[in-house]
Amino acid sequence: MLEIRGHARGGQGMVTAFEILAKIFSKLDNFQVQAFPAFGVERTGAPIQAFLRVAKKEILNRSNIYHPHLVVVFDESLLDQVPVFDGLEEGGAVLINTERPASSLAIPGKTAYTVPATRISLELGLGSKSLPIINAAMIGALARIFEVSLELVQEAIRANVPAKPEANMEAAARALRSVSGANGRNPFLIESLHAQPEKENRKVEDLSFDIPAEINGMEAPYWSAPLSNNKTGNWRLITPSYEERPAPCNSSCPAGTDVRGFVRLTSEQQFDKALELISRHNPFPSICGRVCPNFCEQNCNRNELDRGLNIGAIERFLGDRALDAKVEPAPVRHKERIAVIGSGPAGLTAGLRLCEKGYAVTVFEALPQAGGMMRAGIPRFRLPDEVLGQEIRRIEQRGVKIVLNKKVNVEELASSFDIVIAATGSHVGSPLRIDGEEFARDGLNFLREFKLDHDADGLHQGQEVAIIGGGNTAIDVARTVLRLGAMPTIYYRRTIKEMPAIAQEVKEALLEGVKIEFLVAPIALAPAGPAKVALTLTQMEMGEPDESGRRRPIPVSGSERTILADRVIKAIGQRSDLFALGQQPVEPQQGYIELESGTSVFCAGDMAWGGTVTEAIGSGNKVAEEVHAYLRGKPYHEQETLPEIVLPKDINYAYYLPMPRHYNKLHHPKSLTGDFTEVTRGMDEQEVIAETSRCLHCGECFNCGNCYNFCPDAAIHVDEEGRLRIDYDYCKGCGICVQECPCSAMQFQLTEAVS
Amino acid sequence: MKKENSQNGITLEAPFQDPPRYPRHVQVVMKGNYAAAEAARLCRAGFIPAYPITPQTTIVERLSEMVAEGKLDATYINMDSEHSVFAAAMGAAIGGERVFTATAGNGLFYAHEVLQAIAHFRLPMVMCNVGRPSIPWNIWSDQSDSLSQRDTGWIQLYGESSQEVLDTIIQAYVLTEKLQIPVMVVLDAFYQSHTSENVWLPDQNLVDRFLPPIQPGPMSIDLKQPKSFGGLMPPEHYNRLNYSYWKTVNQTEALSGKIAADFGAHFGRMYDNVEAVNIGSHTRLVLVTLSSITSTARGVIRDYPEIGLLKLRLFKPFPKEAVKKALAPLSKDAAIAIVERNFLGDNEGAIMQEMKRALYGSHYKMYDFFAGLGGKDVPPETIEKIIHRAFHQPEAVNWIDVG
Repeated sequence: MLEIRGHARGGQGMVTAFEILAKIFSKLDNFQVQAFPAFGVERTGAPIQAFLRVAKKEILNRSNIYHPHLVVVFDESLLDQVPVFDGLEEGGAVLINTERPASSLAIPGKTAYTVPATRISLELGLGSKSLPIINAAMIGALARIFEVSLELVQEAIRANVPAKPEANMEAAARALRSVSGANGRNPFLIESLHAQPEKENRKVEDLSFDIPAEINGMEAPYWSAPLSNNKTGNWRLITPSYEERPAPCNSSCPAGTDVRGFVRLTSEQQFDKALELISRHNPFPSICGRVCPNFCEQNCNRNELDRGLNIGAIERFLGDRALDAKVEPAPVRHKERIAVIGSGPAGLTAGLRLCEKGYAVTVFEALPQAGGMMRAGIPRFRLPDEVLGQEIRRIEQRGVKIVLNKKVNVEELASSFDIVIAATGSHVGSPLRIDGEEFARDGLNFLREFKLDHDADGLHQGQEVAIIGGGNTAIDVARTVLRLGAMPTIYYRRTIKEMPAIAQEVKEALLEGVKIEFLVAPIALAPAGPAKVALTLTQMEMGEPDESGRRRPIPVSGSERTILADRVIKAIGQRSDLFALGQQPVEPQQGYIELESGTSVFCAGDMAWGGTVTEAIGSGNKVAEEVHAYLRGKPYHEQETLPEIVLPKDINYAYYLPMPRHYNKLHHPKSLTGDFTEVTRGMDEQEVIAETSRCLHCGECFNCGNCYNFCPDAAIHVDEEGRLRIDYDYCKGCGICVQECPCSAMQFQLTEAVS
Repeated sequence: MKKENSQNGITLEAPFQDPPRYPRHVQVVMKGNYAAAEAARLCRAGFIPAYPITPQTTIVERLSEMVAEGKLDATYINMDSEHSVFAAAMGAAIGGERVFTATAGNGLFYAHEVLQAIAHFRLPMVMCNVGRPSIPWNIWSDQSDSLSQRDTGWIQLYGESSQEVLDTIIQAYVLTEKLQIPVMVVLDAFYQSHTSENVWLPDQNLVDRFLPPIQPGPMSIDLKQPKSFGGLMPPEHYNRLNYSYWKTVNQTEALSGKIAADFGAHFGRMYDNVEAVNIGSHTRLVLVTLSSITSTARGVIRDYPEIGLLKLRLFKPFPKEAVKKALAPLSKDAAIAIVERNFLGDNEGAIMQEMKRALYGSHYKMYDFFAGLGGKDVPPETIEKIIHRAFHQPEAVNWIDVG
């Protein structure tokens, strides 16, 4: 009688393998067979045993196998944990699933075989990566050892394996060919197969009855400490751990702000720390809290539950608390002098960062006031002058020198500065390219002249103003016109869905009384009478999507009409004035630019990419890093965004309750005429803290305790620092903690974690 | 009033004795169920989970009144089923409370799984079972319910009168808290539960001196030494725990006898694990009875000097030593007739099975008599029929009054 004992982990398929082997042997020469498992605690990963007896005569033993002829080990790690070779017969053999060759296993007096069953099974996609099912491969290897024909094995697998029979048959075939050590045939095994069973007649020499240990008093079924033999950590195949993952708010912020971090600090009422965290990436929290389109909120995973967090209001609250804060100047430590052309968000951010790194920085501004588009393009009712002024003042106090009314180019500065950064934005309106173009004013010019020179272009009450475009400039122009008492109408060639303007701004404009006509485009302009313009429009309809993914508007033939307006203002896009880059034609791009003159010029802001304040800030941060690396002779690599952003599919929404978003209150006077008061009001401390409590904490443990509550082995505890941590002595790797983590702050690792 | 039988030292009660009087007791007339409830009160039960079922209902009803009226300082919870009753009892016992509850028939069957758990978690508590069968639907006196639960690990004591039920519950608390094994005190439906009779109610301080407050046991929750309960028990540990239970349960007969003797000295009423009446070398037939049928049999045998009576009070674990000692004086040709108010689906009834186990290797002729199932009355005539059949062509197993 042949006796085989197998050692595996729950889930590897050993019990099925032994059952199939029994069926194979029963077909070989009509053997009597007996296959059965011995489970400990039946769970994935637990060490288990299986037994197989094969004999020519009736098998008269139904106990476990203690003296096997062959030991089969499905998981190599069991060699250190379970006495797998106990009782192995002299002259017997072992088969181990390992990449190692059989020759590396020297077991005196025993034959060793190995087979890379895990690799074979993974290659064929059997089971999962964390838990490959290797039973077919192991059957193949055993068939090789017992010289059973592959056909018989494959036939048995086909008849007994319901899932992926073909792949399993292939696994058996590959394993059969991959057995290491199979050249040294073990006749003992084959002989045992045919030998008379002797074991049940074998005399046990040291037979003795167990005398019960003396039990004094009562033994009760409880544990006051874990049973040492239940250190279930060694069952683990996959290891959970606490691991932060990037939140979508953080990774979508063009400035690189740690949004999740400052929201958490705010919720803990650590306002100064929260602002300090913002300031590492963004010197304009009060401004961004007002004018940013809130990329963070747009990508907030809470949008799947109710609405994203009002992060702008939180940032604005933090920024406004410190508007008049004093700032200490940064000491100059480097000799290199840096010039920045343009005092917009990109130029000032780059200047500030380099100033903080110890460089002397001078910013040149063509206009009489600093701030770039923030100053010249954004109306006061969206961004009050004092907010802009204070945030720029802080940058100046830090040590950045700003020279106003100085339009310069790279070449003029080359002799006195080591580095020139060009960040002049895009202040030139795009042309309509229609007849009578000269009768339309440029929107950006209009906004700039009104803000800097209070030149309202003679607009007065009752006049009709036609505005062409659908972006923020169009909306800002319309709302400014409205406050001058005139009647603005926006003509946009697509629908409200395609409008590039910030949705909230569009909403406010409509509320204030701005008229917007959709699906109309201008085709000609002409003077009409002494002070009017005739604007010919055509109706449009939406066609197929263009390369930007938006549906292309197509004119509807015969739909032309002409209207009269007192002004026509175009706001259909903007481009950069490349004066700053000098005479040579050069395409602006983020970072270092190759100039023929050899001057070290870098480029940042809207002229390179983006189009919002926040993107310009991000661009400024990046160019500062690049310049610093350049000057210090170090390589510069733009930081790659991490790939594993937490997405809605990673969030367990069932663990969060719906909570309404807190909205900013709006300033809505009865008459807007002459009223340039800021429209959007900030939120108070109570509202801000309440809003922070809506954060889902994507990818960041917030000590909710779900893992602690759900862990079936009580393997999770709170450490000295108050953090939830896993005791890997007892963690079986069941993964319930990872599954039940509400915010994806826990991950699986296939490799062993250090306890 | 009592005379000593010089032959075997067993106390015999003389017929037609004067009713005894007990100092520091009040004599009342009450139903057996109320006597059980009074016993729970006198034992200061601290936790009573309950679910009403005929014929047990008045026990838990009376207890709920006592708690509501402030006469008993206990947590009383009306649960949603007997399974929950015993689950709650289990938790409270782990929490260190003195637990009392009561059930009957179907309720006991439903609690079967938890009965096992309580016994093998080694939790002390006392439960009253008012015996009735299950299906076909029947609410009347029968011991098939409790006897079918004899292997759950609970100790079982059967009372003959309301007084004995009351006294046995007091003794049962001493027993359960010493052994950390739960005790079931069984009384007959209606013949005891709803029968009003004279009961001597002891004073509270008398009971308090006999039954001290419950002490924490090995399974009690101790906040300074956290424990985990109910985990998977590996084979080696399981074996060892059963060995420990076996060693303890083997002490039951001796300890129960000692407690009964202490009780006799303290209260003046003596009960033993078994009681032998008129068993000597002259006795030709011994009737073996459980619970209220005993009283009727006592009455009948007064007219039969050659017939004795063996009353079983401790049934589980079966008092083998006491039974053997009680029957030792019998002559070789004496016979034993066992009265079974239970049917467990086998040829012989539960008592016969246990008697044969106890008397293995002895010479007695033993006859089994099924009588009084499902509440069928067992009047003296039935006892006499049993006696008559036992003397004239008895079969190994006999059914009396069928049809």
